[in-house]
Amino acid sequence: MEAVSDPQAAYRTYGPALVRKAERVLRSREDAVDVVHALFVDLIPRWNSDVDLPYLYRAVTNRCLNLLRDRGTRARLLEREQTVAAPVGRVQLDDQIVGVALIAALAERLDAAHMEVLVARFVDDMTQDEIAEHLAISRKTVGRRLEHIRATVIALQEVA
Amino acid sequence: MTCIGEPISWLRLERHALAADPTVAEHVAACAACRHCLDEIRGDLVALPMLVVPERRLRWWRFAIPALAAAAIAIVVLRPRPEPQHHGELLAGVKGVGDVVVELVRERAGAIREDATTFSPGDRWKLVVTCASATGAWLDVAVTEAGARDADHPLAPTHVACGNAVPVPGAFELTGTKPNNICVRVRAEREEIGERACVTVTRETP
Repeated sequence: MEAVSDPQAAYRTYGPALVRKAERVLRSREDAVDVVHALFVDLIPRWNSDVDLPYLYRAVTNRCLNLLRDRGTRARLLEREQTVAAPVGRVQLDDQIVGVALIAALAERLDAAHMEVLVARFVDDMTQDEIAEHLAISRKTVGRRLEHIRATVIALQEVA
Repeated sequence: MTCIGEPISWLRLERHALAADPTVAEHVAACAACRHCLDEIRGDLVALPMLVVPERRLRWWRFAIPALAAAAIAIVVLRPRPEPQHHGELLAGVKGVGDVVVELVRERAGAIREDATTFSPGDRWKLVVTCASATGAWLDVAVTEAGARDADHPLAPTHVACGNAVPVPGAFELTGTKPNNICVRVRAEREEIGERACVTVTRETP
């Protein structure tokens, strides 16, 4: 189930899970498929047996965030977000489901480390303990980053 | 939708869908919100584009050292070659479509096998296609029982959009006791002859 030695096998086994994960961030299946395919194409030359699903999950998060930092792509995804159904929001940030608009707005104010915690908590629905293990940081750091994220969201709302 | 406690993360749900996790199963059985998410995962079909893995370039000295060692020892062990394994995977190079891999998938009481070459009454057979053409491919299935003059066409000729492991709509069953030759004709356009690849499936002895 975990590390897969062959990129083709990993692509087949984990590809669908990674597409769904990217789609939750981007709210677009086509863009999600592109992200996952491009990730595997880039990973093939440096593939090793340590590549497992959590590793790929993090890689997909970073690629999705990079995509959202691109203004053109962001505008297209924001426009598209209006037309797709709202996702199941089991973990919400101050009573709102974290979607493309909020992630894009926060990406301009938060660094990559905070953005990774944001996605892990409010898109991937991970617990704080799970985030700590997933990102190899302490639970205390996760808590601090979540506090900072909440403060940034409040500041954003005040500006609006 | 609200979880009864701490939601099971999507990553844990995905892992559970690949290999059952008793803790997750227990939570999902009691929690409608997380069960809904797991159902979404299980009901989702993702068509991935084909991933082409280039062959690695190997340096000459990687071969030279073992080759020299082998020459020095000069021991040759001859063994009869095993017969090539015949899996339910068909490969055809089709003009206008490129390489097409067609997998013959057997479903028996919920168990899926991609390498089955035997059948029993009640088995369901499906085709799964992997190809990269932007225009997709036409597929036509012909099943010929050993000794029969004419082939059956259990599925209507179908056009599939290319991708990674794309299931062809419909399924069929095999009956009788004789071996069946299952051929899949793949073509770029419906009217073309295309290319054909076949596999023989034999009846299991009860």
